[in-house]
Amino acid sequence: MSDSVDSRLSGKKWILIGIGVLVLVAVWWAFRPEKLWVNVKVNEPAPSGASADLQPLYTGLMIGRAHPTSGRASIYQTLDGKRDLRLTDFMTSNGPDVHVLLAQSTDENLKKDFVKHELNSVELGGLKANQGDQTYDLPDSADLSKYDAVVVYCERFHVVFGLAKLEKF
Amino acid sequence: MFPKIKLALAFVLLTVAFGSQLRVSAQESTKSDNKAKTLATGTFHGKVHQTSGRATIYQQADGKLVLRLTNFKTSNGPDVHVILVAAKDADDDANFLKSDTARTELGKLKGNEGDQNYEIPAGTDLAKFQTVSIYCERFNANFGAAPLEKF
Repeated sequence: MSDSVDSRLSGKKWILIGIGVLVLVAVWWAFRPEKLWVNVKVNEPAPSGASADLQPLYTGLMIGRAHPTSGRASIYQTLDGKRDLRLTDFMTSNGPDVHVLLAQSTDENLKKDFVKHELNSVELGGLKANQGDQTYDLPDSADLSKYDAVVVYCERFHVVFGLAKLEKF
Repeated sequence: MFPKIKLALAFVLLTVAFGSQLRVSAQESTKSDNKAKTLATGTFHGKVHQTSGRATIYQQADGKLVLRLTNFKTSNGPDVHVILVAAKDADDDANFLKSDTARTELGKLKGNEGDQNYEIPAGTDLAKFQTVSIYCERFNANFGAAPLEKF
């Protein structure tokens, strides 16, 4: 008698264990928790020709400050290591003595009017045009890990027309 | 009469000095013609599943569109897909099943880290599908999204 109760109990136990295992497998399959520790790394090459002789290093969108400004600022590296700033779909208002500068996006000066020498910046030249695609040479010394913002700055009135925060391409 | 002329002169001088009404337009081209054209790009955001990196859409010489992820990192997970969604952007808690946002499947996520390419089906309207999402289909969880902007 007690034997059969035992065997029934152990039979139930096995069923419970079986169900438990099934539940565990289902939970494992659904959540795949081991993936928290397992990384899958890939390293495919860029689409053919994308990195031909002009490699984009950084890019960002222009945001208007004192004047509506829009477009994209990108920094390219040519095969010989020279770097250019290129503005595309660019538009700002025209103005007197407008310059393109590299600055640090965290610079407090950028939040207010400032005189140019107060800003830690790299001068890239006078703004060539207030509309359209244009390219500016970057000095070899410009450290892009430090200067991460392109600023369109009106020197006469000490105002920022617009700026773009650069991010790694 | 004279005050009027003076006024006009002053106005002309001012206009010249400020140059604010004049539009100067430049159209310089890039120095070289890349075989693959960069059409749009954007960066990933996603806090719940820590997603970062850049998504860029290229058009190859043969016209094919390719999505490329660079400096990419997300959390690993089950049944994770790369999709294009017809939205300007997507939040961390976006559930594209419920919201019946139009989506285009680009394939299973090849790796949760590293540079990777995905073919975009021919005829995909990039003006409509403006966001890349790393989407866990099993849990309808948006791991991260990258809103694309014209490059």
